[in-house]
Amino acid sequence: MTSRTGNSESIATDLGASGDAELLLASARREPAAFAELVNRYYRPVYRVVWRMTSGHADSEDIAQEAFVKLWRDPHQVREAAALKGWLMKVASNAVIDRSRKRVHADLDAVPEIADQAAVASAPLDRKQAAKLVDGRIAALPERQRLALSLVYFEGLSNIEAAAVMETTIEAVESLLGRARRSLRASLASEWRDLLDGLSSAGS
Amino acid sequence: MEEDMNNRPPMTDGDDGIDRVLALATVPELPPGAIERLMARIEPGNVVQFQPRLKTRSVIFRYAAALPLAASLALGIYLGAKGTLDFALPAAVTGEIASNDDTPDDFSGVSEAEQYAEDNLS
Repeated sequence: MTSRTGNSESIATDLGASGDAELLLASARREPAAFAELVNRYYRPVYRVVWRMTSGHADSEDIAQEAFVKLWRDPHQVREAAALKGWLMKVASNAVIDRSRKRVHADLDAVPEIADQAAVASAPLDRKQAAKLVDGRIAALPERQRLALSLVYFEGLSNIEAAAVMETTIEAVESLLGRARRSLRASLASEWRDLLDGLSSAGS
Repeated sequence: MEEDMNNRPPMTDGDDGIDRVLALATVPELPPGAIERLMARIEPGNVVQFQPRLKTRSVIFRYAAALPLAASLALGIYLGAKGTLDFALPAAVTGEIASNDDTPDDFSGVSEAEQYAEDNLS
């Protein structure tokens, strides 16, 4: 392993070819450069899952960090290097669930603002408004549905991988995805045509 | 990040409407400096550690205020006892205390007891 001499971008070029297993072993030997490469690989997807789970709460960064700090403290916790990404997502999503259980009262300021129905009906949606609207509807989904949606749709995990992260069965993941899809379809029913029309006009 | 969005797998077969709508959702970016903050957290060497003061202050600093006060008090007691500065002080402070030469009054009546006994007075 090379020593950490510069910023994280330069480290990525040095260690980019190494596999997760090798980087985990090096991290266990307390080599920050190897760990930095793992951070470069997986911090973004883990952060995105946390962000989606917390509806963009300011604590997202802290929670995502916790997963990596836990990994740094004991890299041997990960039994299979191939499942490292899933392990990080599991630790992070569990941290989100723990925090949300501790906080009975949700921070309303942190929840994405749901677009006003009248405004939506009267004016065509631009991309930013559409994003805000969809974010708001996703944020309104139950926690498990939101997590399944984030893992499978937004992060591209297979149903098997998502089931491992969520510590449940594949059938349960499929069920959660189906319910999430139906809930979203129902909650966006009045804006559905506008959203699709907006997409087609943006695409043309 | 855009590449991630384009690579998203279709969530359902035959229902690309929901996929197209979900594709509109925000793709969060890492906050600037997030990776550096994380690395600083796991590498304590990057953080300037608090160094506690090893050497305590000397005794002269610790009693810097008390020493002149104590010296001033001692000098005052010495000069006061010696009377060196009596000329500068008012007589009410330095003059002698007036002596009381009067016979002490007897308010108890014991000295009159004998006289009462001789007169058979009760």
